[in-house]
Amino acid sequence: MAPSLLTEPVLLILLSLADQPRHGYAILQDTHKISGGRVRLSTGTLYGALRRLLEENWIERFEASDTSRGKQAYRLTATGRRHLQAEVHRMRQLSYVASLRLERMES
Amino acid sequence: MQAFYRSLLGLYPAGYRRVYQREMLSVLAELSEEAAEQDWPVRLWLAARESAGLLRGALEEHFRALTGSDPRDVVPNRRISMRSEFRFPKTTVALMTIILVAVIVAIEKAKALSESIPPSSVPVGPIHPEYVGVVPAFLIAVGGSCVMGLLGWAVVFSLRRSGIHRFSSMQTDTSQSKSTTLGLK
Repeated sequence: MAPSLLTEPVLLILLSLADQPRHGYAILQDTHKISGGRVRLSTGTLYGALRRLLEENWIERFEASDTSRGKQAYRLTATGRRHLQAEVHRMRQLSYVASLRLERMES
Repeated sequence: MQAFYRSLLGLYPAGYRRVYQREMLSVLAELSEEAAEQDWPVRLWLAARESAGLLRGALEEHFRALTGSDPRDVVPNRRISMRSEFRFPKTTVALMTIILVAVIVAIEKAKALSESIPPSSVPVGPIHPEYVGVVPAFLIAVGGSCVMGLLGWAVVFSLRRSGIHRFSSMQTDTSQSKSTTLGLK
């Protein structure tokens, strides 16, 4: 696994694909929404990240049958889901320790 | 605008374009449709952001095609810091927007000029050496140096604003914080 794969934009892309497959434009809209309007990826950044995730086999590309012809969609693979779960676990643990430390400091 | 995005996509390596160009153009078209309802400053800002993203993406893909490694693996790992992404500082985006507008205006002016002048095949005479003076050449050299200096300053200023210079002091900060913690114990 590339060490720099899990930057925040990449994490947001993976989270966007966690509940359902999406195509490029839908990923851009969803990442903007789930980041609370804080992160707006450009098309160049999105496709750079998608290319890396495809190479690492964290996501896969397929032709969506329910959309217009030729529109490619992306979904998480089992590897991608496993890495996402591990990252969420790591963040949960980190935020737990952080809140404990902050509470101790305030009290 | 789609033609401009298409020309920027032309900067990507051919292999990348074969796989993603059509899809990226479709996303950019959807974004342009969404932006069409906005005011012109917002549209200009979005166009500058997308153009900057495409330029950066093209650079990264060429770097990868040349070296075989990802440019993100060369810079230090930002996993812990969780910065949203490398963002172009506002000065850089403003500078790029000005350059973009200047290029578009220059192209339009050149088109208008070429249409207004009737085609002629008058041969251009030989340039005699007496027309090329030392003073104009000196002035051109000084002017060129000033422009290069200004561009250099703009690049250094933008890099400093982006905080890239802080990477070099990362290790020092860590060792300092460690020593502080030990001192408290």
